[in-house]
Amino acid sequence: MFGEEIAVQSLTMQVPRGSIFGFIGPSGCGKTTTVRLLTGFYSPTSGTLSVLGKNPVDFSKSDRRKIGYLIQQFVLYADLTVWENLNFAASVYGVGLFRGRRLKQLLDFVELAGDKSKLARDLSGGMKRRLSLAATLVHNPELLFLDEPTAGIDPILRQKFWDYFKELQTEGHTLFTTTQYVGEAAYCDLVGVMHRGKLLMIETPDGLRRKAYGGDVVGIKTTEGMNFEQRNQLEGLPFVHGKVKVIDAQENDVIVDEANTAIRTLLEWCQAQKLNVETIEEKSPPFDDVFVKIIEMETANV
Amino acid sequence: MFRFLIRISSFLTKELTEIFRQPLLIFTLVLGPFLIMSLFGLAYPEQNRTLRTTFVTTNPNAFQDQMNLFTESYSSTIIDQGMETDKELALAKLAFNQTDLVIVIPDAPFETIQNNQQAVLQIYHNEVDPFQTGYVQTIANIYVNEVNRQILQTVAEQGQADSGDLQSGLETAIAKTQALRQIIPSGDANATTQVAELEKDLTNVYENLTTFRSLSSGVLVNPFGVEARGLSGVQFTVTSFFAPAVIVLLLQHLSITFAALSIVREIRSGIMELFRVAPITAFETLVGKYVSYLFFEIILAGVLTGLAVWLLKIPILGPWQDYVLAVVILLFTSLGLGFLISLVSQTDTQAVQYSMLLMLASIFFSGFFLDLRLMREPITALAWSLPATYGIRMLQDIMLRGSSIPLAVFQGIAIIGVVLFLVDWRLLKRKMES
Repeated sequence: MFGEEIAVQSLTMQVPRGSIFGFIGPSGCGKTTTVRLLTGFYSPTSGTLSVLGKNPVDFSKSDRRKIGYLIQQFVLYADLTVWENLNFAASVYGVGLFRGRRLKQLLDFVELAGDKSKLARDLSGGMKRRLSLAATLVHNPELLFLDEPTAGIDPILRQKFWDYFKELQTEGHTLFTTTQYVGEAAYCDLVGVMHRGKLLMIETPDGLRRKAYGGDVVGIKTTEGMNFEQRNQLEGLPFVHGKVKVIDAQENDVIVDEANTAIRTLLEWCQAQKLNVETIEEKSPPFDDVFVKIIEMETANV
Repeated sequence: MFRFLIRISSFLTKELTEIFRQPLLIFTLVLGPFLIMSLFGLAYPEQNRTLRTTFVTTNPNAFQDQMNLFTESYSSTIIDQGMETDKELALAKLAFNQTDLVIVIPDAPFETIQNNQQAVLQIYHNEVDPFQTGYVQTIANIYVNEVNRQILQTVAEQGQADSGDLQSGLETAIAKTQALRQIIPSGDANATTQVAELEKDLTNVYENLTTFRSLSSGVLVNPFGVEARGLSGVQFTVTSFFAPAVIVLLLQHLSITFAALSIVREIRSGIMELFRVAPITAFETLVGKYVSYLFFEIILAGVLTGLAVWLLKIPILGPWQDYVLAVVILLFTSLGLGFLISLVSQTDTQAVQYSMLLMLASIFFSGFFLDLRLMREPITALAWSLPATYGIRMLQDIMLRGSSIPLAVFQGIAIIGVVLFLVDWRLLKRKMES
């Protein structure tokens, strides 16, 4: 709480070691506040927090050395070069003096090796973001808090960042990242959905879709199209949930318990109905739609 | 301990790199003050200000010789702009800045004096600066004293000349008294004694008169002269006198400005959030910043002092190690003040404004151009809360008086410096933890 204002509430979660945990929600929903709580920047008004087995407020210096924190905005020094900024970050974390190789590795990793003598003020937005990431990794932290690492950068670079994160995960790092790009949920092992300071759910990306739609989505495209009676029959099948969604004259979407098993049964049903099936496949609705659906559900519940 | 040193070194490298990346700034910091001091020396020659003086008298011929004699004797302070008979015209010249001083000689001054009255010289000026008014008053006093001296000298010379006849008369009187003593009957003891006493008195008067006549009229009128000597035995130029204060003010201002901008910028940029999560403490951050700025400013002070000593010939009569100690403690305390400003300011602009206010306060209250001994008692507390006051006192003592560092002054500034460090540490800790 900030005075009388509740910033975040009902926050219960566990982040498995070695995973990528995505924290998704619109701007101002409390993602950064949550990160600040987890890094010990803020202390909670009530409740308990345990990061690396300790309350972040009580972190010792050695605990802090295990954490890397990428702040939303670029906070490094504009009048220092890429190398000098990285060197500064290394010193702040107490990295030993023979660190040249480590810094070089990091610059290679974020593809800034050729720009190490450039002043930070002369870097593009994406390069600044990559420099910030390198500075976050300089002391090889176990746990990374990344606050909107892809905000304001182009889709190609965003993809590149997620490649970096996947690589870091394979190296054994745990990543806790926030984003307002709902589509990025697909890259995470677990996704927490945040809305108006509340954590609505924690799921795997697929689990999130299933929760939003009540099951898997299967699209059926037939040559002749379905009539009203056939649609009613389809809705009456035991593994089909809710109404059939008419996409166009030929195409319909249905929600099923389990797509893999349902597709075969649906195919048999179509043949029985003398419907000539052009395509039948599991659909992955965009996470933007998933997110909107979840928020709609939450609003309806309220 | 090793990690502590590494974390401190982060600021040393960062601050120095940022400063040295601005060669124009360094050039300005080193050469700017040096050029200002040089220009200051050139702008204020060692001579006193000369006053263009117009004399007003109704009888120019009577005073021409005296005026010439006076203006020749005081050519370093007076430029004779001639005589006027019209007082109003002379005052108009003064009003239009065509002359600096108008001296009005009264009509028939000698007659006035002979009538047992002072002849008053009226001196007019058009100064508004209290220091210049004081200077004009001093010159006026010198002028009146000189006129009085000349008159007395003339009177004395006249007296000496006139006393020649008196002395001859006395010689005759003494001879007559001796002759009288010879003719007094030997039994008349009373008359013999009286004549002998008369002879003795006359001889005394004669001897005193001889002494009076033998003295130079100059010595007679001005029996005492004055010679003022400083203990250091060195006559200082204006530049030399102001150099310690200029060095102190400059170093204080640089330290305060650098430090004042340092932390407030980091708070506003957001990097403080990174420091709060990183394993760096407020103590390490502060020590790192102190060390980096001290390192840079000691080099700057060294170059500045070198230029002042070798090029401007400013003396350092006292021990060099004391000079170094005084500069280091001045920088340490000024940095503390700067960091305090940085920690209480919300923006860069506010920090710069506070720094400028401190600079202004230092110019007026540190003894830079007004002696602290002239200041009213309660306000001296303000003066002694400024590092510059201690710095000027220490550097003037060491550089100009040739003394060691004044211990009480050193202790005073050191205590302020340590207190400021502790306050800054506490405030920064609060900012990094809240």
